Amino acid sequence: MEAEVAIVGAGAAGGILALALARRGIRVVVLESGPRHDLAQRPEYVRRYVRGENPWATPLASLDRYTVGGPVPYHLGGKRARGVGGSTLHWEGYALRLHANDFRLKSLYGIADDWPISYQDLEGYYAEAERMLGVAGVADEPWAAPRSAAFPLPPFPFSYSDGLFTRACQPLGIALHHLPQARNSVAYAGRPQCRACGTCQVCPTGAKASVDLTHVPQAEATGNAQVLTEATVLRLELDRSGRVSAAVYARPDKLQQRLNARVFVLAGGAVENARLLLLSASREFPGGLANRSGLVGKFFMSHPSIEVSGRAREKVYPYRIGFSTAMSRQFAIERDRATRGAFLLEFLNSAGPTPDRIAVASGQWGEPLRTRVREEFGHWLGIRVYAEQLPDRVNAISLNLNVRDHFGSPAPHIHYIVGKYERRALDEAKEVAGKILAAIGLTDVRSTGLSFAAHQIGTHRMGADPGTSVVDVDLKAHDVPNLYLVGSGCFVTASASPPTLTIAALAVRAAQHIAARLRPASSGESTAHPAG
Amino acid sequence: MRLTRRSLILGVAAALGFDPSAVPRSPGGRADAAPALSRSQLEDLVAFAEILVGDGPLSPAERDYLVEHIERRTTQGGGYYLELYRTSVGLLERLAGTRFSGLDFSRRLALITHNRLSSSTVRPEETLGRFPREVREVRTRAVPDLIGGYYASPAGWAVVGYSAFPGTCGDLARYTSSER
Repeated sequence: MEAEVAIVGAGAAGGILALALARRGIRVVVLESGPRHDLAQRPEYVRRYVRGENPWATPLASLDRYTVGGPVPYHLGGKRARGVGGSTLHWEGYALRLHANDFRLKSLYGIADDWPISYQDLEGYYAEAERMLGVAGVADEPWAAPRSAAFPLPPFPFSYSDGLFTRACQPLGIALHHLPQARNSVAYAGRPQCRACGTCQVCPTGAKASVDLTHVPQAEATGNAQVLTEATVLRLELDRSGRVSAAVYARPDKLQQRLNARVFVLAGGAVENARLLLLSASREFPGGLANRSGLVGKFFMSHPSIEVSGRAREKVYPYRIGFSTAMSRQFAIERDRATRGAFLLEFLNSAGPTPDRIAVASGQWGEPLRTRVREEFGHWLGIRVYAEQLPDRVNAISLNLNVRDHFGSPAPHIHYIVGKYERRALDEAKEVAGKILAAIGLTDVRSTGLSFAAHQIGTHRMGADPGTSVVDVDLKAHDVPNLYLVGSGCFVTASASPPTLTIAALAVRAAQHIAARLRPASSGESTAHPAG
Repeated sequence: MRLTRRSLILGVAAALGFDPSAVPRSPGGRADAAPALSRSQLEDLVAFAEILVGDGPLSPAERDYLVEHIERRTTQGGGYYLELYRTSVGLLERLAGTRFSGLDFSRRLALITHNRLSSSTVRPEETLGRFPREVREVRTRAVPDLIGGYYASPAGWAVVGYSAFPGTCGDLARYTSSER
């Protein structure tokens, strides 16, 4: 089989690239290790989800094997989804741009590293990504970087509990603003308005954007894109000129096949991209493909997180919508980040125990049980905190030769620590959240232990210097001229904001670059915007 | 449907008016159908749950939610829940001296109260009567399971005044006000 561009992974980055390239007449084949999840299956998926099951679980479960090490294990279980749509199948839909300062930590604060591109370089692509995904929002964040276009959809109004948070935050000098999200506040792009089904990790209507709905079918409809599902890439092979010549993949029957292409793009997420490069070690690249820097797999990051909650005297009406509508990035931007880590506050619309949890925990039965559930439910408010994690070479993805997947490939091993910088930020965030909850008059304020967002970042960072980065500003591997590595793996720093909109913007930009290489005469065509 | 010897027997049993799920599986038989509780066992469990979760007889819809919960547990929980539920039904029948679901609500309530089967905890010094293993199983495992199953269902959300809850779609604007 042959293609002009072979893309590994049909998630946010892969799906967006496939459409952008196919629309330019470029023949694309996408190799996706998971299945298709048809929209018609979603009602059944919702039933499974509310029962606590994971409807996105990989049919070949051993493909998701991994091991952990380090003092703070980062577990991948439930934090990724294989299949057409990738992690957009189960993402929260929060679609935030990074702030201009997020790209310049070294220059502004003397910590970490700068990105080789600026917010201004990416602004036009952000606008394009917002238009493609249908981001609902309003420019009410006081610190947001300049925008060239309004949000394509109106914002979701604040919730009842957001009103309580707003009144508490004002006297504390904390600004609360709308949370931009790739979810239809009104019908958009052939998808319906959100109907508050409350199970956003399985959106039954398609109101939440996911690339299996917004990009992949459109790419296939051009006639230029083909998606092979349950096709797991085992390794990339090089020709004598040092270019990737083939992706060797296998279906569940383990029969190996080859896909030849002019350009190869890895879009399997930060963990799998790094793993596949390491699995593709050769005589020319004994430490892993595109790894002359020794940095493939290094600088893995996520967003350390806690939730702080408290009990209100009155009912606060939680669990009526599956997503949050308000946030504050005041502490993610307005500070000296040299010493004070950035964190984002998400004001939760659903906190506290559900009726079944109250019932089981109560130890009561009969009428007293019913009364207890009725009285106890609906009193809890919560704030979730996402902290920025600085890049640390110690945090890394490597191969565990003792644990193998369905195809006999070594599983990824994640070594992970959370440093003092992040812990100080979480401590401060806990204090800030506690003040807000106290201002509302909540009692029994408590904090969860440390957890981590389902954001995997770093592992093939971008940069201008091949000695200190894996890909260049166009996301092309420094060491291999026809290999691109896209997704959050190329981020230099993590910020405190969810990565998906930046993944999308970078994918649009990379598509423009790849198209210009393959079709020099039509490089200005269609979906990609020039830098703002 | 695949025709097997067992499915033929079940078909004949049903035609003769027997509960097919009560037909015993041969010791060496293949697991070609998911094991299930008999209809009478299911009724006894629901009758037990009815005492635990509220203050009176449940509506048909509420009973259906419990049946759905129990059936899901037995089909997806491996043999664990099947065994737990059968232990529960067996204990109830031994204590009642008859089918538990054959008793009216007040007699069931009295039996559960007398035998302290509603408590989900067991104190270390507590004596558990003639059937200590079964009582412990029922109280510490079956009781919280049945209570949790009921309160996770639409019936449980109705108790807190919610007609729409995670998993049901409805009015988008509802979350903005204090109306439920």
